[in-house]
Formats: sequence, C-alpha cells, structure tokens
Amino acid sequence: MGLRSIIAIISLLLACHAIADKKHWAYRTPLRPSLPRIDTTWPRNAIDWFVLQRLGENSLKPSPEAAPEQLLRRVHLDLIGLPPSPAELEAFLKNPSTKAYEETVDRLLKSPRYGERWARPWLDLARYADSNGFQADQLRDSWAYRDWVIDAINVGMPFDQFVIEQIAGDLLPNATPSQRIATGFHRTPTCNVEAGVHPEENRVNQVVDRVNTTGTIFLGTTLECAQCHDHKYDPFSMKDYYSLFAFFNNTPLEVKQQGSGVTWDFYGPTMDLPITGTKAKQLTWLKTQRTSAAKQVEALRKHTTASQLDWERTVLKQLASAPKWSNLMPTKFSATGNPTHTIQNDSSVLITGNNPDRSTYTLISKTIPRRITAIRLEALTHESMVKGGPGRNKAVRENPNFIVTEFRVNADGKPVKLASVTASFSQRGWDAAGSIDDNPKTGWAINPAFGKSAWSIYRLAKPLDLPKDAELKFVIDQNYGGARTIGRPRVSVMDGDPSALTLPDDIVAILRKTNRTKMEHDNLAEHFLANFPELKTAESKLAALDKQIAAIKPATTLVMVEMNKNRPTYVMKRGEYLSPGDAVNPGTPGVLHRFKKEWPRNRLGLAKWLVSPENPLVARVTVNRWWAELMGRGIVNTQEDFGSQAEPPSHPQLLDWLAVEFMQRNWSMKHLHKLIVMSATYRQSSRVTPELLAKDAANKFYTRAPRLRLNAEMIRDNALAISGLLSTKMHGPPIYPPQPAGLWRHVGRNAPKFNVATGEDRFRRGVYVIWRRGAPYASFVNFDAPDRGTCVVQRPRTNTPLQALTLMNDEAYVEMALAFANRVLDEAPATHGPEGKIDFAFKTALARSPKPTELKFVKTLLLKRHAFFEKNQKATAELIGNVKGWKPTKDTDPGELAAWFYVANILLNLDETITKQ
Amino acid sequence: MIISPHYLAETRREFLKHTGAGIGAMALGSVLNGGDTGAQKPHHHPRAKRVIYIHLVGAASQLDLFDYKPELVKRNGQKCPDHMFKGKRLAFIREHPLLLGTRFKFQRHGQAGIELCEHLPQLGSVADELCLVKSIRTEHFNHAPAQLFMHSGFGRFGRPGIGSWVSYGLGTENRDLPSYVVMITGSVAGAGNSLWGSGFLPTVHQGIEFRASGDPVLFLSNPKGIGRTERREIVDGINFLNKQALADVGDPEIATRIAQYELAFRMQTSVPELMDTSKESKATHALYGTQPGKASFANNCLLARRLVERGVRFVQLFDQGWDHHSGVFTNIPRKAKQLDQPVAALIADLKQRGLLDDTLIIIGAEFGRTPMLQGRSNGGNAGNVGRDHHKEGFTMVLAGGGVRGGTTFGATDELGYQAADNPVHMHDVNATFLNLLGIDHERLTYRYQGREFRLTDVHGHVLKDILA
Repeated sequence: MGLRSIIAIISLLLACHAIADKKHWAYRTPLRPSLPRIDTTWPRNAIDWFVLQRLGENSLKPSPEAAPEQLLRRVHLDLIGLPPSPAELEAFLKNPSTKAYEETVDRLLKSPRYGERWARPWLDLARYADSNGFQADQLRDSWAYRDWVIDAINVGMPFDQFVIEQIAGDLLPNATPSQRIATGFHRTPTCNVEAGVHPEENRVNQVVDRVNTTGTIFLGTTLECAQCHDHKYDPFSMKDYYSLFAFFNNTPLEVKQQGSGVTWDFYGPTMDLPITGTKAKQLTWLKTQRTSAAKQVEALRKHTTASQLDWERTVLKQLASAPKWSNLMPTKFSATGNPTHTIQNDSSVLITGNNPDRSTYTLISKTIPRRITAIRLEALTHESMVKGGPGRNKAVRENPNFIVTEFRVNADGKPVKLASVTASFSQRGWDAAGSIDDNPKTGWAINPAFGKSAWSIYRLAKPLDLPKDAELKFVIDQNYGGARTIGRPRVSVMDGDPSALTLPDDIVAILRKTNRTKMEHDNLAEHFLANFPELKTAESKLAALDKQIAAIKPATTLVMVEMNKNRPTYVMKRGEYLSPGDAVNPGTPGVLHRFKKEWPRNRLGLAKWLVSPENPLVARVTVNRWWAELMGRGIVNTQEDFGSQAEPPSHPQLLDWLAVEFMQRNWSMKHLHKLIVMSATYRQSSRVTPELLAKDAANKFYTRAPRLRLNAEMIRDNALAISGLLSTKMHGPPIYPPQPAGLWRHVGRNAPKFNVATGEDRFRRGVYVIWRRGAPYASFVNFDAPDRGTCVVQRPRTNTPLQALTLMNDEAYVEMALAFANRVLDEAPATHGPEGKIDFAFKTALARSPKPTELKFVKTLLLKRHAFFEKNQKATAELIGNVKGWKPTKDTDPGELAAWFYVANILLNLDETITKQ
Repeated sequence: MIISPHYLAETRREFLKHTGAGIGAMALGSVLNGGDTGAQKPHHHPRAKRVIYIHLVGAASQLDLFDYKPELVKRNGQKCPDHMFKGKRLAFIREHPLLLGTRFKFQRHGQAGIELCEHLPQLGSVADELCLVKSIRTEHFNHAPAQLFMHSGFGRFGRPGIGSWVSYGLGTENRDLPSYVVMITGSVAGAGNSLWGSGFLPTVHQGIEFRASGDPVLFLSNPKGIGRTERREIVDGINFLNKQALADVGDPEIATRIAQYELAFRMQTSVPELMDTSKESKATHALYGTQPGKASFANNCLLARRLVERGVRFVQLFDQGWDHHSGVFTNIPRKAKQLDQPVAALIADLKQRGLLDDTLIIIGAEFGRTPMLQGRSNGGNAGNVGRDHHKEGFTMVLAGGGVRGGTTFGATDELGYQAADNPVHMHDVNATFLNLLGIDHERLTYRYQGREFRLTDVHGHVLKDILA
C-alpha cells in the first residue's frame, strides 16, 4: 500500500469521524457520565450532583427541603395520584425520617393505584379512547388494553418488554392472550365510518397515525414532516418514512361495507376476552345445570325408544283401519269483500278476482254423512296465486300467507263445539289453536310453508249425529288484514279416530316402509319424540340452558393481526396515497442504529429495534417524560421533539445518566421513579420567592420543586378520595359518572347514550371514565383533557373561570362536597369541637393543619351557617337534596351537614387542593 | 410577603415566555387565562375585528342557492360528461350519473346584480353587502374530515381551528366572556367537539359552547340551595384562603386563580344576561323572526350580534341539516327559509349599529354538492332527487369586515362542476379571513413537535380582489 493510499484512508477515517461528531446529540448513543462530585452534603443520589453542578454554574442554590406533610402529599399524588389519608399523615408525621419516607415510596410503588395513576399519561400517548371519532363517533370495546397498561405498570413489566408487546405482541412466538391484548396500542387510531367513506383512505390514515405516533413516543421525532417531502431539519427522508410505514402496512381494512351500498361499519380484528368474575360464576353454574339436564334428556330418550315400537304398531293399525275423509261439496258459498269464487269438481272453492283486505268465507253443505267426529279445513294450492299460494296475501310480496282468525261450525243453526286442532304446519306465534279460541287477535298462519297445501283438523268435543237433510255451515274468519286469505279452501269430515290421519304425509310414508334409510329412521324417531311431552319439557329446558350459556358472550378487544400476504408499500408522492412512487421494503432510518440481521422484517423486528440498547433515543425520551411529569419540566423541554429544532437539554449529562441507568436496571420504570422521588432535588420546597422568580422563573435549573395544577383525572380522583366516596374497583368496561344531560348528540347511525351510573361506578377513578372522542367527559375537558384523537405528549395546564364553575357547580363535585362534609362529621374526633373537625377537614383535603387565620375564618363561617340552617329547615333540605348516589350517615344533624357543605365546597375549590406543591 | 399585581403580571409573562409557547405566547393572556384582556396587536391594520362564522353543516347545495348554471338546467337529465365521473372518487354515486339542473328560479339583486335563488329573497335585500366566492376547492369529500379541514386546514384530528387561531392571535376585547363562542342548532357536526377544540394550542383558546337549553355555559348554575349571596360567601371563602396561600408560597398562578373565581362569579350573571333577549325591541325580534326564550338558528344569529357587540372575537354558528342526498328540491326551500331572514337581519342589524364594517360574516360549508344527480329516480320524483358531496367547486358567502360588497369572485365551469375562473383553495380562503383580521397567515405560527405550525400549513394566498 502506497503512502498515497494510506493518506487517503486516514483522510477518509478523519472525515467519517467528523461526520459522526456532527451528528445531532440525540442521535448519539448515551454514555454514563461520571458524577460531578464536589464537597457538599446536599446530594442524596446521583441526580443531585448533576443538578447541583448546573446550579453552581449559574450561582444558584437549592431550596430547603419541603415540610414532611408537604412531601408526603406530593409523593402520594405523584406516585398514586391520590392524597395520603389522615391516618397515613399522622403516622408519617410522628417519625418523618428518611427511612420512613423510603418505606412510603416503596409502599406506593407497590400499590395498585400506582398503575392507575401512571396509565393516564401513557394512554394520552397511545391516544386510547372508547369511540371511533368522526361522524357518529360510535363506541368501540378496547378497554382490555387500558387494563393491560394498568396491570403492566403495576407488575413492573420492564419497559422494553412493555414496548415489544404493544407494538408486536401478536407476533411473539406462542403469543399469550395478554400479549395480544397489548397490541390494542396501535388499534386506537380514529376510524371514519361515515357513509361514503373510502376504506383504503381510512386505512392509510390509520397507518400514518401509527407511524407518526411511534416516531413521537419512542424516537421523540416528528416523522410526519417526511410524509410529503424529505424532513426539512432532521435527517429523515421520505424513503425512511415509507420504509417505516411498510412495517405497519400489513393489517386488514378496518371498515366494512354493509351490503352493496355506501354504508360502512367499524370492523377489523378483535379477540374474545376470557370470561371472569360474576359472569364466570354464572357460567359455571349454568354448565352444571346443563350437564344434569342433558343426562335427563338422554335417559328419557332411552326409555322412549322402547315405547316408540309400540307406537309404530298402533299407528300402523290405525292407518290400516283408518276412516276416510269425505270432501263436502258446497251447496252454497259466499265471501265478504266480493271476490270471485268457482266451486271445483274436487269440492274445493277457487277464490280469484277481487282481493279484499279481510274476508269471511261462509260455506254451506247439505251432502253430508250422518255421523261426524272430525272436520278438516284445507288450503289448497293453485297457479293463480303467488308461488301457488296457498294464501292470497298481498301485503307482503312473495309471501302468500293466510291467517284464519276464527273457524266456526254450525249444525242446523246450532254451534258445534270444536275440542282441539292439529295442523300440517303452524307459523311461529300463529298456532292453529288460535283459530278456535274466540280471540280475533290470534289465528292460524303458515309462513314460510308456501307453495304446498296446508290443513288443520278439528276434533269435535263429542260425535255429532245428524238427521237426514241436515245443513252444516262453516264460517272462516280472516280478519287480520293485508288480504291474508285462503285462495282455495276445502272442507271434509269423517267419522272415526283421526289420530293417525294427523300424521304428516312423509311420516306416514316412512311408517309404511319396512326398509328405512338412516335419515328416515331418524326423522321418524324425531317425530315420535317431538310428541312425547316429558321429553319435550326436558329438551326445552336443555335448549334454554344452551341459550343462556351462549348469551354469556365474552367481551372483546381490538388487536393487531398481520395479513397472510404482505401489502406492497410505495413512497406516496406528496403524501397522497393515490400517487404511488418507488416501492420500498420495511426498514429503519439510516441515521439511527442499525437493524440487526437476526430481527424479522416485521413489526416484531421493529419493536426490537425500538428498544435496542443501541437506540439513542428511546431511553432518553422516556426518562425525560417521567422527569417532566414529576419535576414539572423536561430536561429537554420539548418533550415531543428531540430533533435539531428541539430545545437543547438543560442537563445533558443528567439525561444521559438517567437513560443509561434506566436501560442497565432492566428498563425498570419503578426504579427510575424511586430514584427521582428519593433525590434531594425532588424533595425541595416548592415555595416561590421573588428572588427565585427573578433568577429562575421557569425553574429551568430546578431551584425548587414545582407547583403544578393536577391534571383532569387527578383532580377528580383527589376530590373523590377526600370525600371518602372513591371506589377502588379496578378494570372493566368504561364508567359513566354524572355529567349534564344532552352533551352526547352526534350525527349519524347508532349514536350511543350516556346513562349516568347510579352505583359504585359513579365514584371510580378517572382512568376508567368513558372517553368519547367527539364529546369527552365535560369536566375533564375544562381541565385540559385532550380529545385523544391523536397522540398527546404534554397536556396544557390552564387556569380558567370554567374550572372554577366546574369545581363549584358540577353535580359530581357538589355530591363530593356533601360527602366530604358528611365524612368530617362522621370521622373527625368528636371531643375537640369544631376546631377538631376543621383540623380533620384540612388534613384530609390538604394534608396539613389549618393556620390560625384559616381556622378562625372557617370557624366563623361554620358557626354562622350552622345557626342559619338550624333555623331554616327548608334551605337545609334543599341543599342536602343534592345528595345522590350515596346516603348521609344515619344520625347526622342536617343543619350541621349543610353548614359543613360550605366548608367542604370551599376546601375542594382551593388552589392548594388541586395543586401538587 | 407582599407581591404587587404589577409584579405578578410581569412574572406571569416571564413564566409564559419560558413555557415553550413561542412567539405567540403573549396571546395567552386572554381573558380566560388572566386578569388582562390579552388583546394583541395584529400584524397589519385589520379590516375586521370580529368574526361570525356560519357553518351549514352537511354541506348546502351551492347550485340551488348561490351558483346558477343555465347550461346545467338545459342539460338536466342527460348523462354527465365522462370527465365528471370517470376516474373520479365520489362519496355515494357509483354509477354513471345524470346531470341535475336546479329547479329554482334565480334573481338578480342590488346594484351589483348578485344572483340568488328565489328562496333567499331577504338575503337579496342586502345583496350589495355580499361577496360570493364561487370557485372554492377542498381536499376531502367525507363530512368529518372535510369539516376538520375547513376549520383547521387539516383533515384529521389534532390541529386548532380558525377560531382558536384567532383567539390565540388576537385575544379578546371582553374580560367577562370567552374570546371564542360556539352555538349549535341540530345535532353536533360529524367531527364533534374537536371542531372547536384548540388542538395543540393552549386550551384557553378552545371554543366555549353557549347552549340553548340547560346551563348556557356548562356548570354555570349553582346547585339547589345556593343562591347569589351564598355563592358570593363561598367565593369569598375560597379567595380568602387562596390569598393566604399566595402570601405563603408566592406562586403567581394563585393570583390568576383568584381572578378566575371572580370572573366565574361575574359570568354567572353576565352570561344569562347575554342569553336573555327579552329586552331586545319588538322591531329587532321582528327583523330576525325570533321570540325571547325560543331556541332557533335565528335566535343564535341574534345572540351572535349580542356577543360581537360585547367584544367576543369569534362566534361560530353550526346549523345541522344541509346534507341533501335526497329531496334536495323539497329540503332547500325549507332550510333556506330558516337561513334567509335571520342572516339578512344580522347583516342589516350590524350595519345599523355600525358594527358591520369591522365584523366579518362567513357563510359556508365543508364542501359543496355535485351537479350530478344522486338517487334512483331519473329526476322524476322530487322526493328522491339529491346531490352527492363535491369538493371541486363550491361557494362561500362573505359580508362586512372589509370584504368588498356586491361582488362575485371566481366561477365554476358551465356545468357547475369544477372551479374554472380564479380557482381558490380552502387554504386561500382561510388566509384571506386571517388577512381581514390583520393577521399574516404565514406569521401566525405555533411551535409544536419541532416545527412552526400554521392554519394554512405551507399554502394559502390572500384573495386580494375581494378586499374592500
């Protein structure tokens, strides 16, 4: 190798190095920096050394440690989203040592409430909601995913696994139901099912959402810029964008056409959830019942096989000696509504021409046998009717039905009593028995046995002996309407037992055969058993149980499923899906770490790439979000953007130290959270002095702990806990706490209803509240909750009069204030008078005792109001009338309760109550 | 510790500057977020200070109201030319459709001879105030995405609408009312409350719905047993204790909270007072066709006037029921009647009060409707005949606020299909609205996810020809 070549190689290496160095800080792998120790005792863990270093550089000092009660409340709100109880407060204040504090932290990290509190920010990122968004905004079932997030956080699932299961749980070998539920993460995008929607456009929008959300959450990168053109600032090309797109491009369409029209339904893969709880108990009980019912049926069947042979013999005998039907030739026929009728040679009457809505046929015959035991009414077919009849129904096209509302017989003017009836076929709900029950609303109809003749045989209550020349009159009422009338009636009579004759013709044919096929054998047995009452009862019991079991349907949840065949992916010119450019394969942006060969080129490979320790972004972005949630401000303030346009990190070394620590400690969220809340930085007082405002207004250097208004759900949870109403019931379908009527009024099909919960669900945590994108829970909206139509990294924190109105007047908060008042009266130590109660109330709401001025003020108000209400029972009753969904303690003095409402309402509205400080 | 109000205001601004809101951050000081009104200096001299935006939800048929096409009438019932169907994506029409001319007569009104459908006679009486832009195109032909696009310049969720942008850019002129108010007749439009949500802008800029029934503003009424005096007592209690906390911890946010409780208390009277039209004159009620206490689109028009009169920056009226896939010739007369008188009254009333010059009125929809027939009937049965969604060329009507009255801008082709003369995009229309308010649409930006967002994305040209 010549000198020239060596120089060339060296220059090349130098150039590469220079390029590598030019790489934006966030794209370089984080390395654990050493701790900038100096001679001081302030730091409690690694975090504090980095914070202290920056403070020193800016001639700033940390604030003193917060008072124990403030710290206790802060760490409760931060870790579990609920305040400490008065008892927990008392216990801690007795010995507020570092050890006691650490024990508290450990207890909170183990509490199931921890997962509920920390699921909320994740569900904002995951844009989890219970509805589709867009027109109509119908509800969808995906809450199992929400529960999965809560549980995964509670059990301390390592974050890398947490990500892999959500992105590609379905593609893991032998994926468990839980791992499949996790993929609900990317089934959350909005879905437009309004009429006339183009499903492919909808699908592309959903994939775009998946790519962009993945970029935001795991890479802190605004990939969507590269959707229409190469990224302006960051090193991502359109090709990079669509290569990522390709990973997500293999799931099926999520809207389904209804019929052949332009109406669409929400669709896409779901999975059945295991049945649990009371449903599971019910199911077990039903299954036990079913087993015994099935046994009974089996026993009866066995028993009846023996008796079937006897029956067959009897019937055959009856058939052999069976009397014959005599058709009665009508002497006279008339019909109301004036149709045309023609008496046929076979004694039937063909009705044609005018087709009246209702009609009563009257048929008189004189040519009759002397003795009669049964009468047969036939409805015969004829080509003049639709499908040949046997009805003339004109109301429903293609359904030639008839309804005999009543069938009556007179012999020489005297009514003949008909005892029972059997028919060739009766329509469900229209049994032939209805034709002899004197009820004009019931009758005999035969839908759908069209195109063949029908008959009903009436047994007389007692045999009828007729004199010579007697006259029989048959009246056939058909008063249902819609021209449901018989097109070709015939009446016959007989003397003898008609039992055998009531058998259907095909059964008679089988009975007469000696060599029966298996099917014939089964049909015969079936027919016999159907008429065996004991067995019928047992069988219907079994059928009912089967129905009940089937009705316990498993709940479902939305999951990701890969299609068998991959869709090809193309760069979309100008971001338009109808303008495909070059084909691309699944791949990750070249500027970032490499995609390992052993990873499959599908979502699972992508997930592994995302949480690879070589990924410079995922750990940084994640710890930064948690840091911001706890400390009020991200080390990178633009939490959603770590690109070149991002604000540079205020403490780059701290960020890298935390990121490396996170990855090396098995991606443990709880470990990171504990580290932060144990730091001296976190434990500072939040007091804002003019000096601090002047030097560090935005608290960029963490010169104090943050004072932050709680988020929407936490405000509710906190107030519920203070009021004593909070239900800690976990999991399951979304809940409907009180909100004003008339807020759900969307356009479109199947609009859901908001039915306010009356029981425990009224008082469960905010994370379980129904999230309808087109109209999210009203009080949450007033406290800056998003519509979850898209991934939200950081909620705004505003301060508005609507918030004041919500906390003062929302039915939910009025109810909580009354319950809080009741709790004070119920639980506060009775021995210390109003002061004791006020102290209890302050401790419950604010985790501290009142200051003298506060105590004096509240006591004055309380006594004044109490005196008023004692004299004004009507005003008392009116105010207490706002209690809903719970009951005041039995012996509570209403006047005192009403007076305490004032204090409770005030305390629940305080800035301090809705602020973590 | 004593902290002066001035000091608090200063530190608050300091706070805002550092909370990442970027150059528009000062606008945060809107009424809902602080003591001062937050009214901002616009980029240039504004022609309009306020907006009343009437959205005919479902998309009214421009061809039967505003855009008369004699050629289309002449060729009614003929198969539409191939270019109007082949290779086009339509929401509902699937088979080669017939042309459908309007069955209404059109008349010319005013000095400028603006052409309007016979069912808009009253609007005709103010024709010289109107500016019809007849050549608008948009990107979506399904309701919800098109509605989102119309308001936020983006067909999916997550971006602020024009009302929020204006509130963010200009603040409000009234301390006791929100800067952006929404009123609805019929059900909520397809895209739901997100249409007036603030997207990534601070939520103080979201539209606040004033409702016709129940509390006019959610949670405005006190619970049973709490009257005005009792509420005062409670607010005093809250604020007494909040002041203790302010003195103790010194967070300016507490001072804001104190102010907000006072404002909430004032709103409990100012909002019902605003919603109560019983003191309006008989003549006014006759003009709008309203009755005190009776909810209607007309009543919302009257309330819109009362709102802008009080300095509310942006009033958005949604009126549902314009999606005429069938029965277009029976429904248009009915809906036009609901629209005609109140809108004409609003224009005349604002004019008479000297407010029209600086109040921009916008009447429009998420898209237009096809010149092709949708429906089974071959044009015979009026009950069945309808029009499909159409994004290629439709009309919006503007008035007041620096718009050149008595003008028609742009035109569709002879069959009313495609914007032909001076085609404009929804982004251009939005750029123009902002321009009228003194805002440069390229400079009203908000930094989010690493880039500066605009209402008009990277598009938009101001329609200079329609400016007065």
